[in-house]
Amino acid sequence: MKTIHIFIIFIVVAVAQIFVPAQMIFNKESIINTGTAYRFKTQPVDPSDPYRGKYINLNYDVRSYKTKDTIWERKDKVYIYLETDSLGFAKVSKVSKEPLNLSKDFIIAEVGWYNKIEEELSFNLPFNRYYMEETKAYDAEVAVRNNQRDSIQNNTYALVYIKNGEAVLNDVIINDMSIKDYVEKK
Amino acid sequence: MNSKIQNDIKELVEEQVITNEVAIDIENFYKSKKTSSPNRLFTVFAVLGSTLVGLGIILILAHNWDDFSRSIKTVFAFAPLIIGQLIVGYTILKKKSATWREASGVFLFFAVGASMALVSQIYNIPGNFSSYMLMWILLCSPLIYLLKSNALAILHIVFATNYACSYGYFDGNQTPWLYLVLLAVMIPHYYHLLKNKKTHNITSIFNWLLPLSVVIVLGAFVNRSEEFGFLMYVILFGLLYNIGKLPFFDNQKLRRNGYLVLGSLGTIYMLMFASFEWLWKDILRHDVEFNSQEFFVSIVLFLLALGILIYSYSKKWIQSFNLFQYVFIIFTIIFFIGISSSLFSTVLINLIILILGIIAIKIGADKFHFGILNYGLLIITALIVCRFFDTNMSFVVRGLLFVCVGVGFFLTNYMMLKKQKSRRN
Repeated sequence: MKTIHIFIIFIVVAVAQIFVPAQMIFNKESIINTGTAYRFKTQPVDPSDPYRGKYINLNYDVRSYKTKDTIWERKDKVYIYLETDSLGFAKVSKVSKEPLNLSKDFIIAEVGWYNKIEEELSFNLPFNRYYMEETKAYDAEVAVRNNQRDSIQNNTYALVYIKNGEAVLNDVIINDMSIKDYVEKK
Repeated sequence: MNSKIQNDIKELVEEQVITNEVAIDIENFYKSKKTSSPNRLFTVFAVLGSTLVGLGIILILAHNWDDFSRSIKTVFAFAPLIIGQLIVGYTILKKKSATWREASGVFLFFAVGASMALVSQIYNIPGNFSSYMLMWILLCSPLIYLLKSNALAILHIVFATNYACSYGYFDGNQTPWLYLVLLAVMIPHYYHLLKNKKTHNITSIFNWLLPLSVVIVLGAFVNRSEEFGFLMYVILFGLLYNIGKLPFFDNQKLRRNGYLVLGSLGTIYMLMFASFEWLWKDILRHDVEFNSQEFFVSIVLFLLALGILIYSYSKKWIQSFNLFQYVFIIFTIIFFIGISSSLFSTVLINLIILILGIIAIKIGADKFHFGILNYGLLIITALIVCRFFDTNMSFVVRGLLFVCVGVGFFLTNYMMLKKQKSRRN
C-alpha cells in the first residue's frame, strides 16, 4: 500500500479518535444547557478507578420504589419517571420496563433486586460517580459525615441535569456550597 | 561485538588454531551481523519509554485538577491526543524507522485512553469500565496495521483480555462475544509474523500471549452450567496442544511453543482436578443442560481440535501415538459417562494421568530432554500426592510410595545421564 493511502486511512482513524471524546462532550453539554435540573439527596463514599482517578461514590436516597410488578432481572434497564417533592428534591413518580408516553422527565437506571416481602424494587442510578481531586475525595466523605452528625436533616444533594433519559451529574452540593469548595474551606 | 567472542578469537589466534585472516573474517562476519541489533534494543527502550510516558499522562490527568475550569480541562484532554496523532502522522508520511513507528503508536494508544478518561471525569460519566475499554481498543486497532507495530498488537491483546475479564467476570454474568472480534482483528498481523518472521523472538511472544489470553478469557463464556465449563477447558487445552504439535510449531524450540506447553500443563491440571471423586459427584448433583451456551461452545472447540487432528493425519504429520493429543476426546467420552457413574470415571481419569506421565517420561528419554523426563515424573508424583487426600492408605504405604518415586527420580535421571555420556563417547 502506498504511503499516501496509509496516511489517508490514518486521518480517518485520527478523526474517529477525536470524534468519540468530542461527541461525549457535545452530548453532555447539550444536556447541561437544555436539560432540567433535579436535586437528589445523597451520601458520598470514596473509591478509585485505575485510569480515571479518584471519585466519590454517591448513595442516593432515591434508590427504591414500591411496585406490584414482581418480574425483574438483575442488571435490566428500568425507566424511572421523576417529579419533585414539596422541598424541591427529586422523587420517583413511576417505574416501568418500557418507555411510557408521559410528559415527565425520566432516567434509565439499572435494576438492583426486587424485594418480594416489601414489594419494593431497588435500582442503581446511572450517575453515582463524582470525580474529585485525589486529595479531596476522602475529605469529602468525612466532611459529609460530620455535617450529617451536626445537622438534623441530610442537606447534601447532587445537582443533576436530565434530558431525554440521559443525565449529567453537574455538582454535589453540601450546605448550599459545592463540595469542592466545602472541602477546601474546612 | 561480544567481548567474549573477541577474547576467544584472540586466544585461538595465539594458540595457532586459526590464522590471522580467518580471525579478521570472523570479526567482520559478526560486525555485519550486529548492525541491526542496537537498533532493536533502541526500539524496545523507545516502546518502554512511551508506555511509561503514556501511563504517566493518564495518572497526571487522573489527579483531576479541580482548580481548572471545564474548558481548560477539555483542552488538557485533547492535547496529548493531538500531539500523539501529529507524531504518528509524521512517522507515516516520512516513512520513519520501526523505532519511530512502535514508539509513536504506543504513545497515541495511551493518549486515546487518557482523553476518553478525562472527558468522562469532567462530566462525571460513571461509564462502565468495559465499554470504555472496548471503545479505546477499537479506536486504536487500525493503528496495528497502519504502523505495522508489534507493540500495539501486544497492547491490543493485553487490553482485549482485560476488557473480556471485566465484562465477563466482574460486570455480572455476561458473555464477551466481542472479545472474539477483537482477537480476529489482530489475527492477520499474527499470521504475517508467522509467515515472515517465524523464528524471531517477537513471534514467540505472540505464541505465548495468544493462547494465554484465550485460557484466561474462556471462563467468561461459562454462564450457568459450570460442569460444561470444566469440559470446555479440557477441550481448549487439547486444542492448544494439538496446535502446538503442528510441525510448524513443533519443530521450533520448546520455549517458543506456548501452545504446546500451555496445552500440556493445562491438560494435566484439569485431569488432576477430575481425578478427585467429588468433582464427578458434583456434576452428578446438577442436571446437565444440553441446550446451553456452554454446550455449544464445547462443541465448537471440540470440532476445531478434532479438525486439526484429522488434518494432521491426512498430512501424515502424526507418526507415533501420543496420548496427549487424544486426551480431550477420551475426556469428553468419560465426561458423558461421568454423568451416570462417578466411580468409573474417576478410575479412568487416574489411569489416563498415569499413562500420560509414563508417555512424558518416554518422550523425554527418546529426545534426551531432561525437562520433559522430569515433567513426566512430576505428573506421576502429583497424582500420588492427590490420591493421598482422598484415600485411606496407611502411613507406611504412603511413605513407601514416596520413597519409590524419589528413587525413580534418581534412577531415571542417572540412567539418562549415563546414556547421554555413552552416546557422546
